[in-house]
Amino acid sequence: MSIGVEKYWKSWAAALLLGSSGAGAAQGAAAVSGPELVRSYCSGCHQEQAGKFERISDIRKTPEGWVMTLFRMRQMHGLNLGDDVRDALVRYLADTQGLAPAESAAGRFALERRPNAQDIDLGPEIGVMCGRCHTLARVSLQRRDEAEWLKLAHTHVGQWTSIEYSASGRDRPWWQIASGPLPGKLAALFPFSSSAWNEWQSRPVRDLGGSWVVVGHVPGGKDFYGTARIERDAGGDFAAHYQLADVTGFAMNGDSKAILYTGYEWRGSAQIGARSLREVYAVSDDGNRIAGRWFDAAHAEEGGEWTAVREGGAPQVLAVLPQSLRAGTTTTVTIVGNGLGAATLPVSFGAGTSVTKVERSAQRIRALVTVAANAAPGMRAVSTGAAVGKLAVYAQIDQLNVVPGYAIARLGGGRVEPVSAQFEAMGFTRLPGGELLALGPVSAEWTSMPFDAEAKRTEDEKFAGHFDMRGRFLPSAAGPNPAREFSGDNVGNLTVVARAADSSRTLEGRGHLIVTVQRWITPPIY
Amino acid sequence: MSELKPTNHKAELLLDAVAEGHVAEVLAMETVAGCSTTFDPGWEVDPFGGVASLCQPMEADLYGCSDPCWWPAQVPDTMSTYPAWDAGKPSAPGDWRELDCVFPKK
Repeated sequence: MSIGVEKYWKSWAAALLLGSSGAGAAQGAAAVSGPELVRSYCSGCHQEQAGKFERISDIRKTPEGWVMTLFRMRQMHGLNLGDDVRDALVRYLADTQGLAPAESAAGRFALERRPNAQDIDLGPEIGVMCGRCHTLARVSLQRRDEAEWLKLAHTHVGQWTSIEYSASGRDRPWWQIASGPLPGKLAALFPFSSSAWNEWQSRPVRDLGGSWVVVGHVPGGKDFYGTARIERDAGGDFAAHYQLADVTGFAMNGDSKAILYTGYEWRGSAQIGARSLREVYAVSDDGNRIAGRWFDAAHAEEGGEWTAVREGGAPQVLAVLPQSLRAGTTTTVTIVGNGLGAATLPVSFGAGTSVTKVERSAQRIRALVTVAANAAPGMRAVSTGAAVGKLAVYAQIDQLNVVPGYAIARLGGGRVEPVSAQFEAMGFTRLPGGELLALGPVSAEWTSMPFDAEAKRTEDEKFAGHFDMRGRFLPSAAGPNPAREFSGDNVGNLTVVARAADSSRTLEGRGHLIVTVQRWITPPIY
Repeated sequence: MSELKPTNHKAELLLDAVAEGHVAEVLAMETVAGCSTTFDPGWEVDPFGGVASLCQPMEADLYGCSDPCWWPAQVPDTMSTYPAWDAGKPSAPGDWRELDCVFPKK
């Protein structure tokens, strides 16, 4: 691939996530109707009949899905579009042939680029047919009828011609399955026509303008909260201004520009301090909640959670930070939510706790909470008026779970960025009845050891990478390593070990980490 | 070994090694040298869920993956979709640093 193509694609990604081709440019192309754009730029191959364009009109996809489609048209068929035209086509297609929220729900983790997520299960037949290359989330994020799913099978065998001969192809009558029962099964699961989509299209478009309460979690980092002020511009896109701080009070202010596709798919580009971030959020059906995942522009594996609700809504608790307190300690606790500010309302953290030094606004309470030394371990209701949250009280940590329990990191080098793996040590206490109560993330020391005898023999622990202080595994450099057997790459099969001190005891949790080679195909949806 | 009959010279050498007590020196390679229609070592993980049986180093056979479209989700196929991906980079073990991602993240 030429450098020119790379630059072209950087611009593509920008169009989806940033709207950086510019509202003005997009509006220029948008001045032409969507059908006219398809007619002008697509109908040379996709013939128009009775107002429908061959193949195009029979498919529904996410914004990322349509971006990938237009990429393929360029890469495979030489369709060269200007940024403004491409941007307008993606908007039109995602808005008129998108997925309803209920239809994209199962596969959202793929849109949000969540690392080490558990894929959905579509059964062994679709799993082996589609899942040997793609996440099944990618399959679930498309809608076609049976005839169109069959055409997709034809596309695959035509474009990737050795597909029948590689693993999971040659050991079965691949084409007979792909062209026989499979299209019907996919159409039954993911049909082009659906009541969910019909109903969604009739919903009014929500205006997201106004002030929002924000709370978020950073795996391996600190939880944060604050305010987002969202403004809608004349072109219908959004600008957001963030005033955020982590639980230690460290300010993280910034701005975002976003496009709202399909009436609910928020795709933003934010600058928070020195970090360039991407936002993949979904707006709730009532337009009062925006939630999803943000991630580093260059490293999608590094990101966190985001929830925003409109200021002034019904009283509610979005988060209690921290989410657990040890008996016999005094801690500053922050409650984030709506309707929290009335000074006459008492603030309660439940049995065995006492509260002093309460500072409050409508969206935040900071309170000094003392938990009695003899407080019974268990979940407490945190309440002020009608707003209710949860807080765990514990005497000791009894179990440490490494999350995720299984993860993949990738070597990086040359023009391919490494992919790190972030772990968290999640604490639990055992209640008198035997059940485990989750305490949230706890500080831990992180090490790795060989997963099995072969990993020990090949010294994977020595070559594959190392942990940083916050539980993030940083893989080693890519490329043949003359110091390894057969000049092998710095891959590794490792057991991840988290150790946390709790009074006089040391608790240990374990996970599994595969450090593997890079991949050169990194689309928005795997 | 008594149940097996050598059918070529290398196999006869294996029997000789057994007869001479050199069994410890005759070890099957756990590392698979390249994909074929009979061996698919896997890209991210091997068939056993580890990495010991991955093609190592991967770069030694990288163009054996891109040319026949063998790992089309991980490696751009030069057969149909990205014919110029490796242009001007004749040696994967030497030139792998110059190979571009198809979808840059920025």
